Amino acid sequence: MKKTLALLLCLSALTSVSGAAMAHGLTKPQHGGVVQMNGETLFELVSSPAGVSLYVVDEDEPVSAAGMTAKLTVNAGGKRSEVAMVPAKGNQFTAKGVKLAKGASVAVQVVNKATQARYGTTFVIK
Amino acid sequence: MRLKVSLFALTLGATVAAPMVQAHGIWFASRAKQLAIIYGIGADDLETVKRLPLIENVSAYDADYQPIKAATRVSGPVVLVDSDAQPTVVSAIMPYGVWSRVGDGEFEKKTLAEMPEATVSTKNVKYAVSIVGALTKPVPALPGQTLQIVPAGPIPATLGMPLKYQVLYNGKPIAGARMINDMINDPDAKEQITAADGTLTLPVRNQGLNVIRAVYDGPTDQPKLYKQIEHTATLSFTLAHLPE
Repeated sequence: MKKTLALLLCLSALTSVSGAAMAHGLTKPQHGGVVQMNGETLFELVSSPAGVSLYVVDEDEPVSAAGMTAKLTVNAGGKRSEVAMVPAKGNQFTAKGVKLAKGASVAVQVVNKATQARYGTTFVIK
Repeated sequence: MRLKVSLFALTLGATVAAPMVQAHGIWFASRAKQLAIIYGIGADDLETVKRLPLIENVSAYDADYQPIKAATRVSGPVVLVDSDAQPTVVSAIMPYGVWSRVGDGEFEKKTLAEMPEATVSTKNVKYAVSIVGALTKPVPALPGQTLQIVPAGPIPATLGMPLKYQVLYNGKPIAGARMINDMINDPDAKEQITAADGTLTLPVRNQGLNVIRAVYDGPTDQPKLYKQIEHTATLSFTLAHLPE
């Protein structure tokens, strides 16, 4: 009986650990934009009359924009343009006045200022 | 006539039994979510930093295959690739020198001039292409990739589905390239040969990193130094796992 109880406790502990490790589940837009996943990093691009916002969530945790730089690279009509984004509140980066045309491919890249680690993805605007 | 037949048989035999001088290759893989260049084979992810001086033409391309500025960066024991913008495709080349041997002896890093009795003398060049973003148009022949594997159709979302590859040599489809489907997890697999149009269809093997390898023995351009050039190309891409 003691052995069975110990085994059950052990299995329970293993299940808990496994559950915690597999808790990455955020794949839906949180700000009305479009989402693109790169591995377990979520990028949400939001177009509004004021411009473009980017939100970054890594393994379900918001990435602090203050510690990062961000850039949009827009390919549209055979022309490429780059836009530096500005860190805003929390995990938001903004680019005021930017309009994204249908069919444009928009590569986003954020760079950690401290480690130089880079994360990014590419959106195709529909 | 008998001599001709014998010569033909000898040539054919040599082709079929062509020794792979250097089974190792280079490929791209993610390390802590950063894009790294790996040298090795199978689970042997070998020392790349010391080989970094051999690596050339590290290039990145956007979704329209326009070049993006890219550079290597040593981070501890790993060689990372930093690009100025998020790439869709990256590539690299690693010339690996001339290796020769006599019979079944050990390969030595010597030219035919240095080992005139060599029965095998091969210049080795390794190439790597990785698809790191969604494709909106077919992958073209990339600059410097003398041997290149391209997907000849959409990359499926799940493992087990067939994917047709085409192997390009100097930008043109090549028959007779020897391919394996998983350089990491099945490096000793029996090689399969590309058809007349350079294509070969294989099931996508992994719901994660896939590294496909092709080898082609091209003619020498320095017959006094080596008898052939062994081109080894990899194509890597990943399939996403389900949300958890």
